[in-house]
Amino acid sequence: MIVRLAKGAFLTIFFGMFTVPLVIVAGISLNEKKYMFFPPQGLSLRWYPEVFEKSSWFDALTNSVVVALCAGAIAVAIALPTAYFLWRHGVIYAKALFAIGLVPFALPPVITALGMLIFWSSFGYVGRIENIILGHGVFLVTLPLVMISLGLESIDDELLEAARTMGADSRRIFTSVVLPMILPYMIAGYAFVLVLSMNEYIIAFFLGQHATITLPVKVLASLRSGYTPVIASVSVMFILLDIVVFGLIARFGDLPKLLGAWTPKE
Amino acid sequence: MNELQATSDSEEPTRAGSLPARFLLDGIVRPLRRFPLALFPTFMLGVFFVVPFCIMVVISFWHRIESKTYEPGFEFTHYERFFSPLFTSHLWVSVQFSVLASIFCLLVAVPFTYFISRFRRRPQVFSLVFILCVLSLSEVIIAYSLSVALGRPAGITNVLVWVGLMEQPQSLFPGYFATLFGLSYFNIPFAVLVLYPACTRLDRELTEAAQTLGATPVRSFFSIVLPLLEHTILAAFILLFVFTMGAYVTPTWLGRPEDTMMAQLITDQALQRGNFPFAAALAFFFMTVTLVLSLTTVWLRRGDQVGRA
Repeated sequence: MIVRLAKGAFLTIFFGMFTVPLVIVAGISLNEKKYMFFPPQGLSLRWYPEVFEKSSWFDALTNSVVVALCAGAIAVAIALPTAYFLWRHGVIYAKALFAIGLVPFALPPVITALGMLIFWSSFGYVGRIENIILGHGVFLVTLPLVMISLGLESIDDELLEAARTMGADSRRIFTSVVLPMILPYMIAGYAFVLVLSMNEYIIAFFLGQHATITLPVKVLASLRSGYTPVIASVSVMFILLDIVVFGLIARFGDLPKLLGAWTPKE
Repeated sequence: MNELQATSDSEEPTRAGSLPARFLLDGIVRPLRRFPLALFPTFMLGVFFVVPFCIMVVISFWHRIESKTYEPGFEFTHYERFFSPLFTSHLWVSVQFSVLASIFCLLVAVPFTYFISRFRRRPQVFSLVFILCVLSLSEVIIAYSLSVALGRPAGITNVLVWVGLMEQPQSLFPGYFATLFGLSYFNIPFAVLVLYPACTRLDRELTEAAQTLGATPVRSFFSIVLPLLEHTILAAFILLFVFTMGAYVTPTWLGRPEDTMMAQLITDQALQRGNFPFAAALAFFFMTVTLVLSLTTVWLRRGDQVGRA
């Protein structure tokens, strides 16, 4: 009984601890005047449209969205052939390529950021949005890589054997058997890159060089220069976006399995 | 066909002179001919990841002239600076923060992950969505909301005053404990995701058996669950340590100047002072430490799987 109570209390505190800051941010975003009070003084939603009206915020928002969409595409485009190569051929080359794909995420992002900054500086090509897109695409490649591999491993060998006996060549097998089965994993991988890229700070900061500013960079910069409830309203929009994206993944995919939960095979 | 290959393989070692050529042909050309699409990931990861790294390592030995300029050379000047008190004190701060934050983080994450892995499917999926949302929140947003929660006007001290435990609301940030709390807090969702697969693989029958034999749930957790998760927890600890070592936004926003960590030092050298060679040397050192630790994790995990089989 006491154990039950303790467990309940622990879980409540846990969920509470991670909800409280979000509630505070949401509260601040509702302030009527340009102060960051909590509880908010006077209710107003005026800080939400400001993100879209004020050009500095809107530019940062567009940059972030463009970077996230493109970086996701690049990451999946790198991850799919790499994972397939390893799964289908399993040669040392494929293993090495896969291993390199795992490295970026296992290193502190500041190292990737510095390496890429030095690389682009040596061409004098810095501060462009392309820099950030490629940076995020390569840095976050690990997530779709791991997910697509999970998807490929879940394919039953008998299915492939059947397709082969029916006379399908490897391209046909890929488009009609493999691709439909790994599509959920590809989409989930893409969504993970999307969300993490939207929130990534240090690579965007290094590669943007104050010329291309993404939303997290803009938020920290305006925190330094002076508080405004716009920061809170942007944060709330980010949180809502995360909830929608992961809610959709959970709705249409097997989330526990995507995250590596073990399900006994029947 | 297979037999033919096998015999030619066994003959190969006698022709040691052609080893590089054979490696090139068998290791790279043939796989690529069989699967030409691999050229794209090779190109992308090679040009935008491996090459920048190599350039960075090379530049760490170059000679610095002034801001953002450097010339080819081979000197250990930048590595020698590691022994200066400035560097060692920040390294010590980083290590201290990373060890403590990882421990706090695991103290919360291990029981939580164990509990949710025992939930029924719907609440389990709900908890996972919740964790993912918190995980994907920008470090900037988390640091900011914690600074509000720990600050004077709207923070938790107001609650303490209201309850009567404190006379006046006060600001708990910036400071050592605010930073430590921020670092632990930020990594908890990540720790949950790392521990989750192992927790779902735990055999329920083991704890049930222990409880039928009269062990309390607490006792069975400590004497059965924890020992089974030992490798995973150690691996998670190392990953968390590596992650915390790389923290930038949290110590910048919640910490005082003396709480400066490695990533801030590298950023400061690279962006504010334009000292690319020194920043590169720091990064290279940092990378070596983290790579060694990450490889240890992989190795530990392998041991884990063998144990299970």
